[in-house]
Amino acid sequence: MGDKINIEVVYALPQEQMLFPVLVAQGCTLAEAINLSGVLKIHPEIDLPTSRFGIYGKLSRADAVLRDKDRIELYRPLIADPKEVRRQRAMEGKAMKKGGGET
Amino acid sequence: MLIAVAILTILGLTLGGILGVASRFLAVKGNPLEEELKAILPGSQCGQCGYVGCGPAAAALAKGEAPITLCPPGGKAVIEKLAQKLGVTADLSGHEEKEPEYAYIFEDKCIGCTRCIRECSVDAIMGANKLMHTVITEPCHGCEKCVSVCPTEAIVMVPIPVTINTWHWSKPETKMEIAAG
Repeated sequence: MGDKINIEVVYALPQEQMLFPVLVAQGCTLAEAINLSGVLKIHPEIDLPTSRFGIYGKLSRADAVLRDKDRIELYRPLIADPKEVRRQRAMEGKAMKKGGGET
Repeated sequence: MLIAVAILTILGLTLGGILGVASRFLAVKGNPLEEELKAILPGSQCGQCGYVGCGPAAAALAKGEAPITLCPPGGKAVIEKLAQKLGVTADLSGHEEKEPEYAYIFEDKCIGCTRCIRECSVDAIMGANKLMHTVITEPCHGCEKCVSVCPTEAIVMVPIPVTINTWHWSKPETKMEIAAG
């Protein structure tokens, strides 16, 4: 493979998830990879300067240098306000589950 | 200086020799059956059997501590293979083949807590702190671990819709006729 690395760019909607495998040069940055992947052509609604992205669940900067097998994820903002969801659940008398339950 | 080098060399060689001999004579033999059972299990480490992963599950199977019907995602196929390997008959009367499912996140309830992401053993959920989480359906193997950790009950399991891409010709019904012993 030499100085090329395999990465993936992902943009996910609830009904349709798009994975773009890209072969890029070593030292390629996150922003370059997103442009190379062509995801912006298929999803023109993505506004790169204001959107947030990361690698495997961790927010990263546009100039982050990629490593082999990275998955670049283009995130969408939350619809719900976390505080509002919590308040509503409290009003309905449901306790917030403290993750990792056995049931 | 020369003495120091000599001492360390001798020390190194002796200790290395002892370790080498010890590893040869005191080696713990891995159970070969365990390895074979592990190869039969799906290997997705989903934990639905109650063991940490497929490795410990295989160990329990080899010791006879776990029933061969322990693996929900493996379904009938894995049960049959395990039965063959272990030479036991399986009681499939109470077995219900689970429909393949994937997780679905209700976006109006997701609060971006990343708990499900950390739980997912196949990286099928993408998202980050305080940003929308989305299930990538293709790698999701329906282990339901994310469902149980979601604090807002935003994740549900839905059956995989049968489309031209997901449809499989079902295998002919086979009967369990593997003699014991």
